[in-house]
Amino acid sequence: MFTLMKKTRHFLYPLIILLLTGCNSFLGVEPRSSVSDEVTIVDGNSAATAVRGIYAALRSNDYYGYSFQLLGFFSADNIVYRGSQTVHQTLTNHTVKSDLAVLATAWNQIYATINRANHVISKVPGLALTTTFTETYRNQLVGEAYFIRALAYFDLARTWGGVQLVLQPTASASSLPQVPRSSLADTYAQVLQDLQKAEQLLPDETNRIRATKKTARALLARFYLYQKNWSEAIKYASYIIDDNSNYSLVTPYRSFYANNTSNTKESVFELVYDINNTSGQASQWLAGANGGTAWIRPSQDIYDLLVNPAIGGDRSALVSRTSSSTDPNILIGNLYYRTDRTDPVFLIRTAELYLTRAEARAQLNGEGDLTAALADLNAVRRRANIEPLEGLGKAALLQAIEQENRVEFALENHRWYDLLRTGRAQEVLGIASANRLLLPIPFAQVSIDPDLHQNPGLD
Amino acid sequence: MKNSVWKYAATLFLSHGLLLPVFSQQSEPLINATLKGLVLDSISHQPIEGVTIQLEGVTHQVKTDESGRFQFVTGQRLPLTFSTSFLGYKSRRITARQAQIQILLQPAVSDLDEVVVVGYGTQKKRNLTGAVARVEASEVNKIPVASFDAQLQGKLPGVQVSTNSGVPGESIFLRVRGTTSINSSSDPLYIIDGVFLNNTSLQNIGLGGRTSSPLTDINPADIESIEVLKDASATAIYGSRGANGVIIITTKKGSYGSRTKVDLNLQAGWAEANRTLLPKLATGPETATLANEWWINSGLDNPALKQTFANRPYRPVAEGGKGNPEEQPTYDRLGFLLRHGRLQDYNLGIQGGSDKSRFYIGAGYTGQEAFIKVIDFSRTSVKFNFDHQLSSRVKIGLTNNFSRTYRNQARTGDGPQVSLFNSAVSSATNVPIFNTDGSLNGTDNTYTLVDNYDVNTTSLRYVGSAFAEVDIVKGLKFRSSFSADYNVYDESQYWNSKTSIGIANNNQATSGISRNGTWINEQTLSYQYAFGNHNLSAILGNTLQSNVLDYKYLEGNGFANDSFRQISSAANIIASDNWTKYTISSFFGRIGYSYGDRYFAEATLRADGSSKFGANNRWGYFPAFSAGWRISREAFLAGQSWLSDLKIRASYGLTGNQAGISNFAARGLWTGNEKYADSFGKVSPATGPSQLGNDDLRWEKTAQADLGLDLALFGSRLSVTVDLYHKYTSDLLLERPIVGSSGFSEYWANVGEISNKGYELLISSLNVKTRDFAWNTSLNISGNKNKIEKLPAQITQYTRDWVILKEGYSLNSFWLYEQLSVDPQTGKAVFDGQLSDGSLPTSARKVFRNAYPKFYGGIGNTFTYRNFDLGIDFSFQYGSYAVNLNRYFRERNPSSGGVFKNVLNRWQQPGDITDVPRLTSEGLNYTIDANSRYLEDASYLKLRQLTLGYKLPRELVERARLTAARVYFVGSNLFLWSKYTGDPESNVTSNPNAQGLGSFGTPPQPRTFQLGLNVTL
Repeated sequence: MFTLMKKTRHFLYPLIILLLTGCNSFLGVEPRSSVSDEVTIVDGNSAATAVRGIYAALRSNDYYGYSFQLLGFFSADNIVYRGSQTVHQTLTNHTVKSDLAVLATAWNQIYATINRANHVISKVPGLALTTTFTETYRNQLVGEAYFIRALAYFDLARTWGGVQLVLQPTASASSLPQVPRSSLADTYAQVLQDLQKAEQLLPDETNRIRATKKTARALLARFYLYQKNWSEAIKYASYIIDDNSNYSLVTPYRSFYANNTSNTKESVFELVYDINNTSGQASQWLAGANGGTAWIRPSQDIYDLLVNPAIGGDRSALVSRTSSSTDPNILIGNLYYRTDRTDPVFLIRTAELYLTRAEARAQLNGEGDLTAALADLNAVRRRANIEPLEGLGKAALLQAIEQENRVEFALENHRWYDLLRTGRAQEVLGIASANRLLLPIPFAQVSIDPDLHQNPGLD
Repeated sequence: MKNSVWKYAATLFLSHGLLLPVFSQQSEPLINATLKGLVLDSISHQPIEGVTIQLEGVTHQVKTDESGRFQFVTGQRLPLTFSTSFLGYKSRRITARQAQIQILLQPAVSDLDEVVVVGYGTQKKRNLTGAVARVEASEVNKIPVASFDAQLQGKLPGVQVSTNSGVPGESIFLRVRGTTSINSSSDPLYIIDGVFLNNTSLQNIGLGGRTSSPLTDINPADIESIEVLKDASATAIYGSRGANGVIIITTKKGSYGSRTKVDLNLQAGWAEANRTLLPKLATGPETATLANEWWINSGLDNPALKQTFANRPYRPVAEGGKGNPEEQPTYDRLGFLLRHGRLQDYNLGIQGGSDKSRFYIGAGYTGQEAFIKVIDFSRTSVKFNFDHQLSSRVKIGLTNNFSRTYRNQARTGDGPQVSLFNSAVSSATNVPIFNTDGSLNGTDNTYTLVDNYDVNTTSLRYVGSAFAEVDIVKGLKFRSSFSADYNVYDESQYWNSKTSIGIANNNQATSGISRNGTWINEQTLSYQYAFGNHNLSAILGNTLQSNVLDYKYLEGNGFANDSFRQISSAANIIASDNWTKYTISSFFGRIGYSYGDRYFAEATLRADGSSKFGANNRWGYFPAFSAGWRISREAFLAGQSWLSDLKIRASYGLTGNQAGISNFAARGLWTGNEKYADSFGKVSPATGPSQLGNDDLRWEKTAQADLGLDLALFGSRLSVTVDLYHKYTSDLLLERPIVGSSGFSEYWANVGEISNKGYELLISSLNVKTRDFAWNTSLNISGNKNKIEKLPAQITQYTRDWVILKEGYSLNSFWLYEQLSVDPQTGKAVFDGQLSDGSLPTSARKVFRNAYPKFYGGIGNTFTYRNFDLGIDFSFQYGSYAVNLNRYFRERNPSSGGVFKNVLNRWQQPGDITDVPRLTSEGLNYTIDANSRYLEDASYLKLRQLTLGYKLPRELVERARLTAARVYFVGSNLFLWSKYTGDPESNVTSNPNAQGLGSFGTPPQPRTFQLGLNVTL
């Protein structure tokens, strides 16, 4: 036994020592496609990539690329769901439950976008300036983050009501946010604060796929319209409308999107896709013959309106009709038609600012306001190649603007929110309970977050 | 110290040089006596080949030849004492008093002397203190599935096997003693000849959620035996990877001093659909009738739809309709898709050895066509195992496995588009296949997909090792090995201009190449020592393992026409890649002690360090203890002739798990894989946080206690093994859901606990054994109860959250609204928890039932009569449930595609008693996705394998200069008894957390019929 131990020892010791010393470096493996948290925003270059990352989150499938869009699409009467996940139809008949999966995906992605913006807002102002990383550029980057954070909270507020306001980046699992829901007013106050910072920091340039001072002003116009602050809405809408060398209503209607067009003067803010980064909703709009599923379709009502020459005019280009072996009447939306799924998402178009100003002017109802409102409305109608309206009173004018919004943005995510902000949703869509004007907070969130309570009357 | 190492090395070298001649001198025979003998089976009196005859007192040994004869010359004089040994026969010690001798060997009905492979060694089954199950590969390897794991169904207690689809070569669902993990893998560790085998599919091209199995690269014909290590005592030596059991595959090695044996096995046949498992579609007229009814009812319920009898879709053509229902034709797409799939399996095995070396060479080809068109699998493999005794102290060896598998695939499983099997089911039967001009109707119809969509995969795999073993002194052995598992998985896919994806992209080609490389270096030092009644064994070792997986993907869109298929000819090319790596470093040891063949004790410890974990908790320590007591050897049971063996065993230990989680799960990460433009058309890289870090991330731990009993009665004609176990897994590696307002929806954390409690029973009996007739029965039943003991938040699975993981319930439970009945008066579905106003609150959605069986197992009988043999194997499971997704999709709006006949049972008028509610788009009848109406009992009993064989008569065989020849028939999955509509084992996805989602788009398992010929030279 003894000799045996001795021999083994001689044999083993060098081996074990060799192995133990080698171990720590052997076990250290670094990822290549991602980097660790600490080394992300350290200079101008990395700050710029982080800001692009906020846009990437904004246009991702879980936000403007698909999921968030569905919520507004199906809640109103312009767009219907005809796919296999029939539960999406509960949005349309206003019986949606909090366990609808798409509620959670959209909610989480909006907050992921906010977190990216928070990283930039908290880290970039402290970065040292260089000859290439100028103060203007630094302000631009921070301003863009403020703009997107404002948009994200705006989307949360108009969909779910007041939400938890998280304004610091999440650094680690041990410092998760624990904040109660803010009131709707406080949420909107945060949106305004961020938008005003963005307006102040951003350069006065024209860039339709990134936020500039102009983009911030366009969103402010929408914000004030929601707030019924008519004079501010008029003021901010006018910034864009008056900038007619950069922004105009392009003719014919379809020329802002058809024939692979994008980035036209019509567009104030759009999110772009490319073949490496495709839009998730695209394939669900496309007809089967174009490689899609046509699960998302225009409703029969909007189809009828659009193809009516007196109402839709040139906007009839937005829809067409086809059939398949199983379905004789497939209505197709043509705003998303690119078979390579690179259709941009239009967030703000010049037409919106005309209609915003029209509505705000009509609401002001002062001398000359109705005429001016009508002129704005008719600018949009004229572009669509339909007869201008004349001599409408306030109520009829507002009604006409509502109708114009419906057809002008038939396949964009406006209708639900327009009806909500004007208080007309219950009447127009036949929603019995006012509680249904907000969507339920995702089931999983309510169940894991003690600070988050469900909207009243929803489950 | 350095000095003494060299001294040792020199001693070692010298001893080899010097001792060798001494040994050989000892064994040089002085010719004094010749012994000739014949060894026969005591019952059949057939000669036995390969019996080892070991002369006592010397190292000299010989083996019997094919006619059972042996001969040796020795320096000793008669009488000579020698022993015989041969697997499957009782060993004998014989004293020969004359030069010619005939020896009868009794078949060993008991398998107690059987040697069982355990972690880093072998043990006699009788000495085991852990729970280990074993199967001889030859019992199962004729079942025509592509991998050995799928062949194990119903054969081993504690091993649950579900074959999720009828596509040959796809991953299956296999669990050893239940599921222990959620986000980490619950698959067992597979080890082939000491090499840790990759079992994670390298498939990247989406095939509707189903993935190929990497285990198909191993040819089952090369396998000798499969051992499953189940309890902590057996698995703890594999520490961090032992929690889900360890499956050890031992391949054929040849034997020293044996004649070269050539074994040729040819087997061919066909696979066909078990038609009772195929979906039953309503005819054209039935579909149209139902569509009209749906239309009209919906219109009645919601006048706003403007759907009336007058404008129903199937009304006379003259009225603008599609013709009356009875005028509708019926087209059979499924029939077009079906075929008799050809099955082929050809294997050549050559094995043998000299005194100093042994080898096995295997070559095989397997071809398996699915019973639906296009899909097939084939494998060509070469196996070469070789050991050589360099000297009496040093042995070296190699194991090598080369294979190439080729798959012709198609999308099965989920997906709206282009799913091949689904395309034949989801189109309404009254819709024409061809347009009037002869062109195909619509895109992605079954006919289009068969001809215009290609997915091909080639997997090249090498698994092998080289080792050296040194006997340092008597009983002490050092072994060092290098092993590699290298796999190149090459996928390509092409959609031509007739498919929807082809249309959308002007044809699309994709190519993905994954390379997975593992290397392992291992050292062990093992020691055996016996004095008196004491037996001591010990092993000490270390392992270093490194694994790199990299992936390159190319996609081309926009081709000139269908003839151009190479990506370089595409207008747009998209590329991406991925690289990931992990390393594991381990130290382990085991000490075993036994006293007098009666008392056994064992202790194991393994320490593992993994690169996957946070710096704070990189190392995990996994101990285990076990003890056994052979009561039958105690004096108070002596002389009980009916009792052959009785042993109780107990073990307790800790094992770990880290498989399946991301290699960088503990890190806080920012991804650089995103892009956005600074100005229009100028795309630049983007970054963003993608993962929240956790420096404390550590090993998932499973504590397991096992209590076992081995009993053999009546000369071991009846043997029973019973095991009870309790596994408790804590520190679950979980993508823990966190508040969304953090910007993350989850992060990797150690939260949650899962328990598995169960029992296993194995009974083997030799019912009849006469000279001409034998009948064996083997029955195994295992039950496992899984429970999520702690989980901070429920986690839902799959698109519609049908499956849920929730504290207090089993994994893979269902989350559904339970449809209690259909109101006979109104035809409305009535749900549990429905409010009096008819609405259904989310709180009514409840967690119930799950995808795991209450018990499962198999029963096998083998009969031999003279030259005939018959084997009948059943497998079964009871108490499992599955949501039948096929029914979910096809038993709803009848105007949106294919409709199952079951919809004809819908409620039509007051008084109808049915569970299919009134057809309408309104209300809850067909708008609740998570409706329990589609949940079905997936219990089954099936005739898994039927084998009938005939050994050709000896005279005939000898005349053909062969050693043996057998012809046989083997059928698999011949009959199935189940309440489930379809294949109860089918699952839409390979995702283990989404088990219980049956049938959708997934072909059922085929029935197969094969004839085979086995010839031994």
